[in-house]
Amino acid sequence: MRRSAAVRAAIALLALAPLFALAVGVGLSLGAGTLSLSAALRGVEPDATVLFRLRIPRVVLAAIVGAGLSVAGVALQALLRNPLADPFVFGLSGGAAIGAALSVAVTGTALGVAGVSAAGWIGLLPTQFAAVLGSLAASVLVFTLGRARGRLHPERALLVGVVFNSFASALVIALEAVLAPEKTQAVLLWLAGTLGYEPQPVLVAAGAVVLVAAAILTALAGRLNLLALGDEGAAALGVDVERTRLLSFFAASAAVGAAVALTGLVGFVGLVVPHAVRLVAGPDHRVVLPASALGGAAFLVLADAIARMLFRGLGTEPPVGAVTALLGAPLFVLLLRRRT
Amino acid sequence: MTRVFALLLAAALTRQHLGPPVPAQVRRVVTLAPSLSEIVLALGAGDRLVGVTRFDDDPRVAALPRVGGYNDPEPETVLGLHPDLVIAQPAPENRGPVETLARIGIPVEAFALDDLKEVEDAMEQIGALLGVPERGRALRDELERHRAGVRAEAAKGPRRRALLVFGLDPLVVAGPRGFAGELLRDTGAVNAAGDAERPFARMSVEAAVRAQPDVVVICGFEPPPGRPAIPGLPRARVTTLRSTALLHPGPRLAEGLDDLVAALRGKRAP
Repeated sequence: MRRSAAVRAAIALLALAPLFALAVGVGLSLGAGTLSLSAALRGVEPDATVLFRLRIPRVVLAAIVGAGLSVAGVALQALLRNPLADPFVFGLSGGAAIGAALSVAVTGTALGVAGVSAAGWIGLLPTQFAAVLGSLAASVLVFTLGRARGRLHPERALLVGVVFNSFASALVIALEAVLAPEKTQAVLLWLAGTLGYEPQPVLVAAGAVVLVAAAILTALAGRLNLLALGDEGAAALGVDVERTRLLSFFAASAAVGAAVALTGLVGFVGLVVPHAVRLVAGPDHRVVLPASALGGAAFLVLADAIARMLFRGLGTEPPVGAVTALLGAPLFVLLLRRRT
Repeated sequence: MTRVFALLLAAALTRQHLGPPVPAQVRRVVTLAPSLSEIVLALGAGDRLVGVTRFDDDPRVAALPRVGGYNDPEPETVLGLHPDLVIAQPAPENRGPVETLARIGIPVEAFALDDLKEVEDAMEQIGALLGVPERGRALRDELERHRAGVRAEAAKGPRRRALLVFGLDPLVVAGPRGFAGELLRDTGAVNAAGDAERPFARMSVEAAVRAQPDVVVICGFEPPPGRPAIPGLPRARVTTLRSTALLHPGPRLAEGLDDLVAALRGKRAP
């Protein structure tokens, strides 16, 4: 007997729950100092501050970003019918880089001061604020340019996205030549995907954005399944193709925007977690979407814990964006070879 | 609203305070830049330093715990040292980590150290924060006296055109508005970098050649061997300043000024 999609999704989530719990356990127990859990719970300082104001917010941040990027990756791969689509395919990485570089360029000018106060108003740093503005503007631009005669052409949108990202990286290199070099470098390193410590209201807001986006995409999952048949095939089965595309595009962009604002461009998660989940759970988006959310969250929490530990002796840590690929690429190839 | 106001102020001022108020008696200090550690040491408060960056190379802090770098202080490590004051240098790239420190309850004072006025203000104000205001004022006076002495001596000497080089690929030079450029003026030299806006500015090789410097001073690093540091300047004398004193905006600038005078005179550079 075929189980219903809801039952299969529940099984997948139950299977991933211990992995997620393990990742959270590792994430909370690793850090620069030693932490006594009982002392922290009794409110002894500095253990309580380390647990409640540093490690828990950091794990929550990694979970939100991992989940957001993974569901966006699933949606964009379905929407563009392309397995190589990642969350930044609509020019988001290029847009974020331009935004971040410009935020350094205008530091100290009237525009810079206005940007600082606007970003401070919503609790973000100027660089984060500029990166998210840039990435969202770029995604709307690429989405618009990818349309012709009232509908989105996946190949066209992909090409425009790739071209835009190249243009953007050229622009950023040119900007870097004009600006104070050491400053742009530091900002672009942040852009490579860095998890920091965000204030609680920012985390709550980002979590809400990702949760709503994931819910919308899960609700659209059945229609995303049918998009695999091609636009005509899906339309013949009663799917409003354009509406589905538009809705899932906006939901995915919102999730990626939240992730970019908090951490820059964390690569690999959004590309590979969806594929890993599909390899195990099959192609049904009604299962893949929720499972990718939980799997992506677990993966990034773990990758961040490892990033923190990797260079501890040197008193520094690599951007988590580098660790995701270092850790994920071999794992993924292993999984791929096992399954096929 | 207060946060927005604070940030607006922060953009306009060279000194900023974040987090809870600094206690009247500061006993445990963490610094996030080597020059700031040197200021604390010069104030005679080295025994109150409990953590420094991984870039700190002063032998007096060799045994102290490292809290990370200038841009990536590790909040857990800082917190574990129980500081009642963290002293930082404000910059867009370390803003996130420094705000985190303030949010978890550590008083942070940040001082811009781009020009000599800012450096001297920082020495005086850090002195006040540490309860030794007279030492802070003395540091300012010492540096000023030293500069006046060098200026008086320089008035008798030749006015050379000099370029202070801090990076070669791309070429980065000291502009007249930063502390290095101001010290160069004290030596009586003319800054061949022109009137660059930034303390440390990029310059094209062509512009450097057109500026016709008599002396090129390579500051704090070794140029690659086997070829001219800057092509097209066969007549300029190139000297290398191995001492890093000129790179540390703090009390070591007096020493850096002497190094610079020696280098410009063509004595064996320190």
